[in-house]
Amino acid sequence: MRISRISRRAVATGAVLAVLLPLSACGDGGDGGGSTDASGKIEGRITFQTWNLKANFKPYFEGLVAEFEDKYPGTDVKWVDQPGEGYADKISADAAAGTLPDVVNVSPDLVAPLAKAGLALDLDKAAGKYEKEYLPGAWKSHQIPGTEGTYAFPWYLNTGPLFYNKRLFKEAGLDENKPPKTYGQLFDQAVQLAKKSDGKVATLANVPTIEDFGRYGVPLMNKEGTGFTFNDAKGVELLTEYKKLYDAKALDGQALTATPESTGKKFLTEAVAMNPGSALDLEKFKKEAPKLYKNIGITPQISSTGKDNMYVMGVMVNARTKQTPAAVAFAHFVTDAKHQMEFAKKVAIFPSTQGSLDDPYFTKQDGKEETRVRIAAAKSIRTAVNYTPVLFSEQMKVELRNAVARALQGKESPEEALDNAVKQCDRLLKQS
Amino acid sequence: MKSSTRTSTVRIRRQLPTSPWLFAAPGLAVVAVFILYPFVSTLNNSFTDKRTLIPGEYVGLANFRELLHDDMFWIGLRNSTLYVLVVVPALVLLPLLLAMLVQKHIPGITFFRSAFYTPVVASIVVVGLIWVWMLDERGLVNAVLEAVGVGKVGFLSDQWLLLFSAMAVTVWKGLGYYMIIYLAALANVPRELHEAAAVDGAGAVRRFFSVTVPAVRSTMVLVGALSSVAAFKVFSEVYLMAGPAGGPAGEDTTLVMLVQRTGTGLTGRVGYASAISVVVFVVTVALMLLVLRADRKEDA
Repeated sequence: MRISRISRRAVATGAVLAVLLPLSACGDGGDGGGSTDASGKIEGRITFQTWNLKANFKPYFEGLVAEFEDKYPGTDVKWVDQPGEGYADKISADAAAGTLPDVVNVSPDLVAPLAKAGLALDLDKAAGKYEKEYLPGAWKSHQIPGTEGTYAFPWYLNTGPLFYNKRLFKEAGLDENKPPKTYGQLFDQAVQLAKKSDGKVATLANVPTIEDFGRYGVPLMNKEGTGFTFNDAKGVELLTEYKKLYDAKALDGQALTATPESTGKKFLTEAVAMNPGSALDLEKFKKEAPKLYKNIGITPQISSTGKDNMYVMGVMVNARTKQTPAAVAFAHFVTDAKHQMEFAKKVAIFPSTQGSLDDPYFTKQDGKEETRVRIAAAKSIRTAVNYTPVLFSEQMKVELRNAVARALQGKESPEEALDNAVKQCDRLLKQS
Repeated sequence: MKSSTRTSTVRIRRQLPTSPWLFAAPGLAVVAVFILYPFVSTLNNSFTDKRTLIPGEYVGLANFRELLHDDMFWIGLRNSTLYVLVVVPALVLLPLLLAMLVQKHIPGITFFRSAFYTPVVASIVVVGLIWVWMLDERGLVNAVLEAVGVGKVGFLSDQWLLLFSAMAVTVWKGLGYYMIIYLAALANVPRELHEAAAVDGAGAVRRFFSVTVPAVRSTMVLVGALSSVAAFKVFSEVYLMAGPAGGPAGEDTTLVMLVQRTGTGLTGRVGYASAISVVVFVVTVALMLLVLRADRKEDA
């Protein structure tokens, strides 16, 4: 009898412990290890994580890892690749669990929260000597406003032209060889295209995003990085113009729920007349939409600032790595001029290292359309800007998108919508 | 000999109460780690301002107070509730009618049973994408509507049409699943009851309401309970059709979508998302109790 009572108590205690013990494990998921000193011997086992690159570039990365291990005997690099979908969530889970790889492929918006949480190594301290190897703008792209330090090596850059459908332009009575060069021309031609096609053909398939506001010349954030400013007169002006486009059916009817994939598909099926892209897309048009490819027009990005938008990728070193010298050395190895150039020749991206863009590969014409696009993009990338603020999180993107949608639907005035968006984004910024 | 037997009997008796626990221990451990702990953890987090990468501090009821002033929360609650109100009656009634149809033993009926069940086994992502293509401005449905002179309908651009389209997909996908449950229940309805009712002059409709419905009422309650919980927690269909932002201006966001959007990513507000999850849990339990209570009232 007593035994049974004791065992029940024991079972109850066990059950409570089973629930509470894991709770006690909650914490920052790290041991606070790691150091900013990368000057030691380069050795040990490190893990390198890429973002959806294994499917197309497996041999390149396997070669890269083998080359590094040969160069530094005693090192062992384990390469892992994560799918594009849910990459941020995967990093979140790893970061929270303390299982973040030693070297991680990131974008500036991903590195910002990691740096704030003390999980990204400050390269100004650990690897400042390499700064001069990279384009100044690229090195700065992983700096966080209001915070000291640089938190990732710049890796590849990407930008691209605006593609347009010459056939649709011609049918609307527009000169297919004179695509819009300014926002004014874009808005006028888009309305004309919608009128001529009786609202059947839109010019654009997506609502303006934060980089569109940036390209239009809207100041996005204050210098201190403490608040957003895209609700100024210029921002209201852009949104007002988009509202006119939406009402005239010059903006696709499904733009309010569009995704990058769906807008790409709209352009492929010739439902919209213009879409931003990169040199990668030409091959896709050739394969998937030969009719479109025959009518494809290419024009530079439209920008009021004189600077195109670019996307930046980086390679971050986990601040808690046990192998700081090896991790820093490998991150630099991946992003140095030689390897960036090798990678750029395998895929339509651009190196972020000094002098790489002077390579004939980015300057010499060979008559091919792909080369023409690549050369034009390489030229524009020298002055291009990553307009998306480093601190602009996914939740903030949704807030802006919803505000834009409310303005386009006429539920709020453009001014009111942007004021609300800034208010919400500032609130999220304070909470982050 | 006798005394040793008595001793062993006493030992067995004394050990018996602990043995069931020992057998149940692996299962209990799994429940504790994978169900109880996440539940307690979510409850605990809902009173903190925890972020994905920041442990956070206790903030009492601040998250719940914030919910009351969060427009998106009310939009989510409205959409999830509407989902229950529209989807549940459809999923209680339509599969029953379908089950009665395919219950008949006629040649080729197996094909129809399988066909109706196919959407159940299909991946929700595949199903969602197929419907997105079909309901697109240039999709099959709009092509047909244009051909018959109705004109294009913005299934995926209008806030309400989008939500109702997602509901239609949920119903379409759930029909086969609940049909199978009803088929099992209908198999237990004695044929004599139908025959007696027919002899008394009851028509098909009368027999349905006087014989079939009372006979499968408990199954209808089960289907109602299951489908109302599933409908209130809807995510995939709306996410796939309305996009991650939750439709135009986020007007199609459901509560579970809001949990996902708020609580995930590197800047996720885990504490706030947990508070929304607690609300979802409370409403779900309330729904279950409501359905079961209605059933008990009927029994009384």
